[in-house]
Parts: sequence; C-alpha cells; structure tokens
Amino acid sequence: MASAGSGDEKAATVTLISSDNEHFEVPEAVATLSQTIRHMIEDGCTDGGVPLPNVTGRILAKVLEYCNKHAAASDKDELEKFDKAFVDIDDQATLFDLVMAANYLDIRGMLDLTCQTIADMIKGKSVEEIRETFNIKNDFTPEEEAEIRRENQWAFDD
Amino acid sequence: MPFRSMVRDLRESFGNISRRKFEVRIYHRGKSLGSSSDLQDGPMVIQQSRWASLPPELLRDVMKRLEEDESSWPSRKDVVSCASVCTTWRDVCKDIVRSPEICAKLTFPVSLKQPGPRDGVIQCFIKRDKSKLTYRLYLCLSSAVLDENGKFLLAARRSRRTTHTDYAISMDSKNFSRSSAGYIGKLRSNFLGTKFVIYDTQPPFNAGRLCSQERPPSRRLSSRKVSPKVPVGSYPIGQVNYELNVLGTRGPRRMQCTMHSIPESAVEPGGVVPGQPKELLPRLFDESFRSTATSFSKYSIADSSMDLSSCRYSECGGGNPQGGDAADKERPLVLRNKAPRWHEQLQCWCLNFRGRVTVASVKNLQLIASVPPAASAGASAQPQASVPSSTSSHDTVILQFGKVARDIFTMDYRYPLSAFQAFAICLTSFDTKLACE
Repeated sequence: MASAGSGDEKAATVTLISSDNEHFEVPEAVATLSQTIRHMIEDGCTDGGVPLPNVTGRILAKVLEYCNKHAAASDKDELEKFDKAFVDIDDQATLFDLVMAANYLDIRGMLDLTCQTIADMIKGKSVEEIRETFNIKNDFTPEEEAEIRRENQWAFDD
Repeated sequence: MPFRSMVRDLRESFGNISRRKFEVRIYHRGKSLGSSSDLQDGPMVIQQSRWASLPPELLRDVMKRLEEDESSWPSRKDVVSCASVCTTWRDVCKDIVRSPEICAKLTFPVSLKQPGPRDGVIQCFIKRDKSKLTYRLYLCLSSAVLDENGKFLLAARRSRRTTHTDYAISMDSKNFSRSSAGYIGKLRSNFLGTKFVIYDTQPPFNAGRLCSQERPPSRRLSSRKVSPKVPVGSYPIGQVNYELNVLGTRGPRRMQCTMHSIPESAVEPGGVVPGQPKELLPRLFDESFRSTATSFSKYSIADSSMDLSSCRYSECGGGNPQGGDAADKERPLVLRNKAPRWHEQLQCWCLNFRGRVTVASVKNLQLIASVPPAASAGASAQPQASVPSSTSSHDTVILQFGKVARDIFTMDYRYPLSAFQAFAICLTSFDTKLACE
C-alpha cells in the first residue's frame, strides 16, 4: 500500500507479490530501480500490490537485496565489492533466473552485471565445455560440423 | 524404476545443485547413472535446457560483451567457440562480428578473404622456412616489428615444376594438399618468375566472365550436375607481372598487379568490392555437399593447367572496350609498386616504410592503386568529377611488404585487398628472379 503525502515518518512503499505469493513491502525508492515498477507506480496501478508472475519469492528476495544496496550505498568501491559477491554463485540456475528477472523488471545495473557474468563464464572455455555449462544441444548438420571443425582448428592453430 | 521416479520428484522441487561450475547431467534413458558419489552431493535434477530459452536480446547482449572484451587474439578464439555451440549462437555471433573492412579485426576464417580496413591497415608478418619451402603468415599481436608473437593466418608451400612453380595456400599450417579442407587457393608462376596468376577456390563476382573465355565449352558444368569427382573451383582472380625498369637491372624492378576480382570502382569514393564470400566454402564437392552446391549461382570451373603464355588476361574481368560505362566500372583494379626515390647521399633507392621494414631488400615493396585519369571527352555521359591527376587521390599504400630479419618480413594490407590476396602477392616477391644491382 502506498501512503500518500507527508513522507516524514513513513516513506512511500509498494508491495511486490512473487509468483508463489510471497509479499514484499518495499520502499518506492528501492523498487523504482526497476523501470518496470517505476512505470507502474507512475501510472498509479500499484494499489493492492504489484503481482510479478515471472519471478519467484526466492529470486525476488535476491533482486531486492541488490536494489536495497544500490539504492542506499553511494560508495563505488563498496558497490563493486557487493556486486562481485552478488554474482559469485555456483548455481547457474539462479544466475539464469536473476538475468531473466533483471530483464523482466528492467533493472539496468543488474542486467549489465548478470550479462557480464555470463560472458565471463564463457571466456576460455572450449566449445564442448560451453555446451556442458549451459546444457545446449549441438544442432548442426554434418556439413556445418565439418565447416565448424575447420574453423576451430584454424582459430586454435598457433 | 525407482530412480526414475526419484528424478521425477526432484524435477518438481525447486533449484538444483551443481558441482563446481558445471551442471552434472544424469540421463535417464539407459545411460549410466553415475557413481553413488554423485548422489551424495545432494539432489540432482535433470537440467531442462533453460539457457536455450534465453531471450535473443539477452543472448545478443552477452555475445556483444564477449566480442568486445575479446577483441584481439588469442582470446578472440572465444568468439569462434561461441559461434560453434549451436545454430542460434552461431547466428548471433555472425551477426555481431563486423567484417575487417569495418572493424579492422580478423575473426572467422572468412575474414581472410574479405577486404581489409578502409581506415588503417592490418599488420602481419611472414615467416619463411627455406628448408621446408614454406611461408607462414601471422597476424601481428603487438606493434613491435620483431616480435615473433603472432596469430597464425595462412601458410603456403612451394613446389617447383619444370615449366612453372606452384604455391599451395592453406589455412591449415600442416596440410597443403588440394584435397585438404584447409586449401583455399594457390599461386602459379611462369618459369622465369615474371608472370604470376593467383587462383581462388571461391568464385568472385565476375566468375562467369573470368573463366568462360579460357575453357572449352564441353567442360562447363552447371551447379546442379556437380559430380563427386569434379576438382575444386580454381578461379584466376589476379595476375602479377614483373619487369625491369628503364634502367635495367640498375634500378628497382617494376611490378604490376591486376586484380580481376576487384573492380577499379572499388577504390573510388563510395566504391565496394562486390561478391565477397560469407563463408569459406567447404573445399570438396561430394555427396554430402549436394545441398550446398545447388545454392551456388551457376559458375564454370577453370582448368588450372592453363598455359600462362596463352592467357588473354586483357579480355578477362569484363573489360569489354565496347561495353561503355558498365565495362569501365568493372575494369579490374591495377596496383603498381610505388617507385622508390634515389637517395643521393645514401646511394640507394628509398621508400618510406614508416618503420615497418628495416632491412634493405629488392623484395621490399609498396603497392598503390593505378587508376587512369577521368573519362575522356567521348564517354562524358556520367557526371563524374574529373580527377586532376591519376594518382593524386590514390596515393594510399594498399600493400606494404618488406624484410625485417633474415626470414621475417612484415606485410601490411588494407582495403580493397584481402589477407589471402595480399599474401599471394607477397609470395610473388619471393619468387621473382629479376635481380637488382
């Protein structure tokens, strides 16, 4: 529920509702790091809470962790440290969920951070390792495979 | 099976645990289920290919970051790796990567047959191995002239025959045979080493005109009837001639390079090189390539054993004197070596190599475009601004080649030449026998 007005004692908040029906009451200043939510607040359609059917409670909690930190802290080094720890996750499914949530909620900083993390995960890996990491199926035809083999042999040739 | 139901249950539950950075997959269709130690790490879930459902704009964002971060070799191989993962990733990578003409970077092998940058040059070096008769082209990885650190690009091996010499050019540093997947073209010289022809395995934009006059019609094949035994295409895309200058052997030799695959208009403002390849095509035409063969436009295969002395190259490349404007535009680009100046005090011929060539050698050269003056009164139909002198706007050195150590030569090239063409032209400089006192 958003409280109108004075803002002296209680800052305006908005309630975010995850796909598994967890409710998070969040200060607007924090929630508006998400452009998606910001537009909804501006359009005045946040009464009764904002349902986010694409984000689970677990992931939303992590997203809000990010937003809380970035809305509050101003020290660049501190934020960098936080970001680094934020994406230091062994669990790729969570990373996938975070990048999808950042995209859906349109949180620029978090999107940059998670996309860069994925790019960094790819660096230095062989083709097979990349496929394994992201569980991607090789769907090339045999002709394309031959061409790709030739390409890779050249790229890795010293 | 109990394990199957357990896996099904786990699928329902949220989250999965990975070991190190890799998801451990357990196939439930008869494949080994892994050791018990796998199960002790915690519940495993069969990974649906969630990453395959990553929205295209996010995949693109990730690939773009990777491509920008890995801008130079050897780390640029990551871009090639990404393009080898699956068709979706390949499409995105190929779309993101710009041609060398625009970004001055070499990425995929096809970059070797695409024109170099319009702004700046691509710096390479060639290592000669006299004992193995091979030459290897590398991309410079640093600006130091004698740094032997390079990314391998192409290799050539010389074979001398009775009437001519051949250089097989390959992107495989170990395999030069025509039947290998790496073979991408060759250079052939006449006996004296005064005339050379560059052959490409891929057709240029004017392939039909280039070859049709040289071959007897009976050997023409339409693309739909390519038989498995047909040799790979061999298109003459350029010709290099050497001659003594007016001072005989007392002066630097003159070299002229006629690029049939590059129209003269390419070096004019707004000009482009037409017919650029999108891929380095697979070499062999066999059963499995029937589907790709039908996508080629009709072409004819040149007989690579043609006799150099009987070649009528002036008729190749669409240079039809009655053709008018269209033919003029498609006149092949001619490159000439920049004439050195005689330096009275140093008593030698000098060219300004800007530090990229440090050892005097008759092989050293700089090639510039040789474009004739603007159209004469007869063909004044086109509203072209007349160029005051033929070379004033064409002083840019398109190819520079020269010695820096006993068996190391730098090669710098730019638009409209490709790395393959530049390499072939430099090879002629090694071979020609015309000496200079």
